[in-house]
Formats: sequence, structure tokens, C-alpha cells
Amino acid sequence: MIEFINVTKHYPGRRHVLRELNLQLGKGEMALLTGPSGAGKSTLLKLLTRLEAVSHGTLRVAGVDLATLRRRHIPAYRRRVGVVFQDHKLLMDRTVYANVALTLQVAGMSARQLDHRVRAALDKVGLGDHWREFPETLSGGEQQRVGIARAIVHTPEILLADEPTGNLDPELSSEILDMFRDFYRHGTTVLVATHDQGQVDRMGVRTLHLAHGQLQEKA
Amino acid sequence: MSLHIRLQALGNARDTLLRQPIATALTIIALAVVFALPVGLFTALSNLQQLLASWHNQAQISLYLHDDASPQAVAQLRRQLQQSPGVVAVRFVDKNHALADFQHYAGMTAAIQTLGENPLPASLIVELNPLAQSSSSLEAQVQQWSHEPIVRSAQSDLKWVARLQAIVALGTRAVYILAILLALGAVLVMGNTIRLHIEQRRDEIEISSLVGATKSFIRRPFLYQGLIQGILAGFLAWLIVAIAFAVLQGPVDHLANLYGTSFPLHALTVGEGFLLVLISAALGWLGSLVAVGRHLDNTVS
Repeated sequence: MIEFINVTKHYPGRRHVLRELNLQLGKGEMALLTGPSGAGKSTLLKLLTRLEAVSHGTLRVAGVDLATLRRRHIPAYRRRVGVVFQDHKLLMDRTVYANVALTLQVAGMSARQLDHRVRAALDKVGLGDHWREFPETLSGGEQQRVGIARAIVHTPEILLADEPTGNLDPELSSEILDMFRDFYRHGTTVLVATHDQGQVDRMGVRTLHLAHGQLQEKA
Repeated sequence: MSLHIRLQALGNARDTLLRQPIATALTIIALAVVFALPVGLFTALSNLQQLLASWHNQAQISLYLHDDASPQAVAQLRRQLQQSPGVVAVRFVDKNHALADFQHYAGMTAAIQTLGENPLPASLIVELNPLAQSSSSLEAQVQQWSHEPIVRSAQSDLKWVARLQAIVALGTRAVYILAILLALGAVLVMGNTIRLHIEQRRDEIEISSLVGATKSFIRRPFLYQGLIQGILAGFLAWLIVAIAFAVLQGPVDHLANLYGTSFPLHALTVGEGFLLVLISAALGWLGSLVAVGRHLDNTVS
């Protein structure tokens, strides 16, 4: 599902962030991506969301070669992926419902078509009763759940998360990561970047450690 | 493209405008004033041209006829003149009338009587619309008439027609330049407004882009915003011009009365009004398009 073949990423005038990186993540597989700050975890996820382009190498996701993907095809690709951010990236002037519905609206769904899917996604993250509220009235953990509902509402093939528990206490972090584990058990490929070693040990899933631009499998 | 996507974008644009009612109203008023100025001037110019066109008794050409011209030849020439472009009326003045006029206006009765016979020729007086054709083509036409077999000579004072036409042409050109500059101003006003909206909605644009929104999906609400504001500004400009002309009608009536005439001002017709709305909508949309093209690329990931 996700395949990095000798992927290098560097910025002009700066050191290589990722160097000759190789990785295979199969359909319905979950992996945690760990590493110190500045190791390149976010860059790797940016390559997967096509916010950045690879400098060298081949990066294939769900059969799409991201290295050669044309700009005009990027939106269609992104609609196959769900992304969760550390800072939630919610629209504070819109309701919880509207935030989640956005993913389906950009895909061209009408209000009637998307309604039951939005409600189902909110139920899945335990926010079925909060659909009318605005994000600022919610706790950090609840806001992150809204971000997750937005990322899964279109049942993506791949779910990516960049430090989704970065601002949460350990209990909430566990809840959120358990949620990701549920998604992968239902067939979604999940890649979560985290620096929370305690959660990594608890989850017991495949772990990839990124340091100095290189990936290492951790037992 | 599904209708519901367009309606969704339209609703989004409407909500954005209603969320900032004062800013929206100020933009619409600024645009309306920008549109009302050249439209008001165009309409005033059109009224002036109508007024000048009614001054045909001031633009006359006298064609003096040979004494032996037959009544049939005179009648034929008269018909021919009446069908010429810009000719409002053709009047025949026979020798006796010419003499009577001369005596009346020149007060030279005694001198004329010493001549024994009437030396004044019959003539055809041609009344022209001074703005119907250029002064050069008018001059050429007079030249042509003067070479008619029964015409002895032609007398015209076309210099004032040329001057009048030059003044009207200058006014028209000045209004065109003003209209172009103000249209540019309208595009810039709208462009700047949309730029600010893009800045304010940077997060929304970024998030929409991350969840797979196409560029057209992102830019459509901004274009509709420009279109809506342009349409509203067009209607407001129409209203401003109508009110301005209604307010001016009183003093114009008074002035016309002093000259013993009447001059009803013509504001915009319904067709012209809707053309104004159409143009302002197009300029609003164009301003948005420029801003979106210029600023959205920097925002969309």
C-alpha cells in the first residue's frame, strides 16, 4: 500500500532530511513512526500527503506514484488518504458537524448524501452528541477526535497521523491510539508518527525508528 | 459540475459576506460610487447630445438657386435633400419672400427699390442635426449640393458645427478615459477585498486543500463573492444615477423655462440599467479572479 524505494528528500542549501529511505507497509497494516524531534517524521508524512515532493527515488501509495504525480491530480489522491494533525487543524468558526462534513463536500457530496456518513463518523469517535457544538467549546482530546472523524469520514484507504497525541495527557493518548488500532483492524493502512515511547511500548504494533534520515525497524 | 456544488459555493460566499456586514456594505457602496460616476457622466453626455441635436434651426445651409430653375427641378432637389443623412427639414424661400425678409431685417427698402427688379435669388434652406455626421462629411455634402445644376451658390457656417462636434468628442473621450480608469479602480477594489478574504480564510483554504479540495472548489466561493458584490453595486449605482437625475430635473426645468423651452432629463432606461448591473457583475467577478489567481497559489498547499 505504501512503498518507499530509495527515497531521498533534501531542501536546497540544507542537509538531507531523508536519505535513501526504503519502507513497505502493506494493506491493512499499522506502523508507528518514532524518532527524535527534527528526525524527519513530519517530512515523511508530508511526502505521503504530497505536501512535499520527493527529491529522488520512488514513492508509491495505493498504486499512485507520488514522484511523478501531476499537480492537478493531487486533490484526487488526497481524497483517498485521511490525515490527522497534532494541532487538529479545525475550523473554529464552524460546527463539529461542518468540520467533518468538509471532507465529503470537497469530494462533491450533497448535504443529503453526506449526512449519515458524518453522523456515523462522529459516533465512531464518540462525539455523536456534540455535532452542533463549535470546536472551541471542546476539550483538546475531543478536538482531536473531531480531527480523526474528519480524517475517516470518507473511509480512506490510508490513515496518516502526525503526532496526534502530542498535546494530550497519557489517558487520552491511549484512547486516541486505540482508536487508530481499531481502524487498522478494519482494514485501513495506518501510519502514526509519535515520540511517545510509553504509547509505542503499549501498542505492540510495528515500529519504525527514524534517525539521521534513515529508517530502522524496531523489534 | 453538479448544481449542488455551485449552490454550496454560493451559500459559502453569501455566509462570508453576511458575517462581515459593514465591510461588505462599504465595499458595495465604494463600488457603486465608482460605477455611478462614469455612468452618470455618460447619461449626462447623452442628454447633452439630445439637446444639441434639437438645435437644428441653428445649423442651416442656404442653397441659392438660379433664377431660371423650374419648379419641378426645385421640388426634385428638395426631395433629394430631405433624404440626405442628418437633414431635419428643407424649406423653400422664393424670391419675394427673400426680398421681404431682407427688407425686414436689413432695413434697406429704399436702396432695393432703386434697383427696379428683385435681385435676390430663391433658395432652399436646409436644417441639419449638427451631430448627425462629422463636419468633414458635412462639408463634402454641401460641396456636392453646391454643384447641383440649379444651385448658383451655397452658403454655410460649418465652423461652429466643427467646434461643437470637437467639444462633444472631447467630452466623450474624457468620459471614456474616466470610465476605463474607474473600471480599473473597481477591479482593484474588488481584488483587494478578495485578497483580504483570502488572508482571513487562509486556514480554511489550507485545510480544504489538505482534504482534497480542487483549486476550482476553493476559488469558486471567492468568485461568487465578487459576482454578488458586483451585482449589488450595479443596482446601487443605478439607484444613485436615478436619484441624481431626479434631483437635477428641477433646476434643469427652471433653466429651460428661462430659455422658453422644456428639457426632460432622461436617466437610465431599464435595458441600460441591467447592462450596468451586468458590467458591474463582470468587473466584480474579474477583480475576484485577479485576486484569486494572484494570491490563492501562495495559500493552496
